[in-house]
Amino acid sequence: MGTIRMDRRLFLKSAGATAGAVAATQVGCLKYFKKGRSSAAETKEIPTTCELCPNKCSAIAVVEGGFVKKLNPNPENPKSRDMLCARGNAAIKQVYDPDRLKQPMIRVGARGEGKWKPVSWDEAFDFAAKKLSDVKGKYGPEASLWSSTEGFQEVFFKNLGLAFGSPNLVRHPTLCLASVNLAYSATFGTVPSFDLLNSKFVIMSGANRFESIITPDTMDLIGGVMERKAKLVYLDPRFTVTAAKADEWYPIKPGTDLAFILAMIHVIIAENRHSKDFVAAYTTGFDQLAEHVKQYTPEWAEKETEIPAKDITRIAREFADAGARALYYAGRRSSWYQNDFQMRRAQAILNAIVGNWDQMGGMVPNAKLPKGEFLFMPWDEPKAPRVDEVQKEFPLAAASDGVYLKLRENVLSGKPYPVKAWMVYKQDPMNSLPDQSKTLKMIEQMDFIGVIDVQMSDMAWYADVVFPESAYLERTDPVEVMPGIWPAVVYRQQVVKPIHDTKPNLEIIQGLAKRLGLGDYFDYTIEQWVDAEFKDLPIPMAAEHMKKHGVWAATGQPSYGKTLTPDHRFVTKTGKIEIFSERLQEAGYDPLPVYTAPVQPPGDRFRLILGRVGYFTHANQSNNVWLHEFMKENDLWINPKPAERMGIRDGAYVTVTSSVGSVKLKARVTEEIRPDCVFMLHGFGKKSKMQSLVYNVGASDAVILETAWDKVSGNAAFHETFVKVANA
Amino acid sequence: MRNSLKLFAVIATLSASLAAQGGSDTKGKFFFKKTCKACHTPGSAAKEITPLSKTQAQWKAYFAAGKHKKGSEKIDSVIKPEQVKDVQTFLVNHASDSPQPETCGG
Repeated sequence: MGTIRMDRRLFLKSAGATAGAVAATQVGCLKYFKKGRSSAAETKEIPTTCELCPNKCSAIAVVEGGFVKKLNPNPENPKSRDMLCARGNAAIKQVYDPDRLKQPMIRVGARGEGKWKPVSWDEAFDFAAKKLSDVKGKYGPEASLWSSTEGFQEVFFKNLGLAFGSPNLVRHPTLCLASVNLAYSATFGTVPSFDLLNSKFVIMSGANRFESIITPDTMDLIGGVMERKAKLVYLDPRFTVTAAKADEWYPIKPGTDLAFILAMIHVIIAENRHSKDFVAAYTTGFDQLAEHVKQYTPEWAEKETEIPAKDITRIAREFADAGARALYYAGRRSSWYQNDFQMRRAQAILNAIVGNWDQMGGMVPNAKLPKGEFLFMPWDEPKAPRVDEVQKEFPLAAASDGVYLKLRENVLSGKPYPVKAWMVYKQDPMNSLPDQSKTLKMIEQMDFIGVIDVQMSDMAWYADVVFPESAYLERTDPVEVMPGIWPAVVYRQQVVKPIHDTKPNLEIIQGLAKRLGLGDYFDYTIEQWVDAEFKDLPIPMAAEHMKKHGVWAATGQPSYGKTLTPDHRFVTKTGKIEIFSERLQEAGYDPLPVYTAPVQPPGDRFRLILGRVGYFTHANQSNNVWLHEFMKENDLWINPKPAERMGIRDGAYVTVTSSVGSVKLKARVTEEIRPDCVFMLHGFGKKSKMQSLVYNVGASDAVILETAWDKVSGNAAFHETFVKVANA
Repeated sequence: MRNSLKLFAVIATLSASLAAQGGSDTKGKFFFKKTCKACHTPGSAAKEITPLSKTQAQWKAYFAAGKHKKGSEKIDSVIKPEQVKDVQTFLVNHASDSPQPETCGG
């Protein structure tokens, strides 16, 4: 027993955690420390790729006696360099989490009651296949919904949905960044990277980059600001960490960022400060833009944004003067308002007219690297139209991602047809969609729900069967190309064998496919898949290299300006950068961004705004014991003026009520937020008792957020909810 | 109302173009990679070809002409006749002026 305690202490010390903080939750893992660990245990260093967020940083796992002892950064990856963030380090606890799913389970109580029967994989596969087949037989394959989030093994899940015959794959982008993706695609034909390392002037609208995701390009920007290389102007109703580090912070009136950007464009064009050569050579529609923005003066924008006109004018001049090395940063989560697409379009246009395209310190089209592809047997296309009617309602949106909130509305209404089975991979719609009561209604009307996940998410908690996926450190995944300014190819390989009765997603999909009569479409191994991908990497001994290094990156400096040639064709309708978009006009949308003032909350209510911190990825990881140490509960930010008026004290519980729900959480009375807003963090108030650290702790924003979406991209509009706040 | 009409026109155009192609994007990608990319890759004798090599109109014109190797042979002597529509659909859908917004992963 003494030996065991010593090993645990060594383990925890080496992993940078405090033993006291972690001990309480380690009990369930003790057995994994009992065997095979001695001072003579073999130590291996195995390169792999982190999965705790979408950044795909390269890591090196230090494995001792069959256990992951530590995760180190892998400096060979130019995107992640010598850095692994708090989440990356805490991936160890995903493996050794006593709460994680350890075997397949079938629900035996009511949905959400938490009564489960552990079953064999065969039983789980047979059960799910029968349910899916029943729905298919009764309603057709289109009555099944396949929801997933970005991941290296997501492809297998999507392929099963398609091979099953369902058109209804729905992915995460319309809950995250679909408006940015569509706006930049509509303007430049692609979504570029932002060269923060070399930029001289950066503007961020609500993109809380210093706090919400900490990666090397965050550090580039911090370095730039700290060394006075780059100037940072930051707009946010909250005084965030990014605001604290910025040169200038403006607590902009929520929902008015578009007015600020249009006024900047107005100043730059009126004062003839745009990049005339670039505009003439590479863009179309500038003259229409010049006419269009005449109405958007800084004085007009001051009334909308509450940012002084003189500051808007000065910032516009400084931005234009920085020219090719000025950036209006797009941000990563762009699900804010119903005009989000047009706001992002205006950012793209502003970037375009100062000529920062494909320039050092500007926006850079992503360089790519070649890799091979495993060619699997193709299936017949699903015959039914999508249930979310994307092509009719959102003709320019990415149809293969779907539009989540419209989809939920249509599923609830049963039109254009019923959907009765819901398969979910690596996603928690209970927390990622607004208005949880609607999601619960959608769950209620399903004949079958199956969830594949590493942990018992709230969605899994309401499922009929859960398939436990192996953690990323326990499995090998497809190879991934990471396009960018410094492109790389990354490889995720198994570091330790699964410690529970779990499987990688491919094997789960194969188990289901076999029983659904679709086995031929998945008749390959992960090794065959990966070998095919290694084949076309332009390096000698590619497989050996990737297994040894985990990453391959092109050498040398980034190459700028490759697209700045007379014969370059942008992937747009005209082949040019489209300031004025005919395609938008033809689809019935504004071809240039038009400002509409947002509706403001009545006097007794506040606008609810959301945000992220770097410890958690969306609603994930708040139950990770190491990350939980950083933040144990969320609270409600409220300005002292309304708090005093309502008698709300710092730290006291308040109820927050919208038209769709009510939650209770602690108040944080702070000057760091405007008086017309309140703020809460995502990822708490879980319903799953197997998220024991955050079960019923804090509150889930999904309960009170109302359903609204951007008109063009279908992106959820998460900042359109007004709430009442009162002492609990 | 005007916007609705325009939207209807776009949908009608899209539907008509898809109906005219009548093929499978998924199968087209498979046949393109399996057959066309066997030769049309960087460093090989044939010029590299990707869907971005032509506009939608150019791809449609190419398949309407039905010729391969600068007109010296028919396209359906290289790709099986029943696969031509699928390959055309894939190439047109992903052409250099196609409205294909980028996504996250996937």
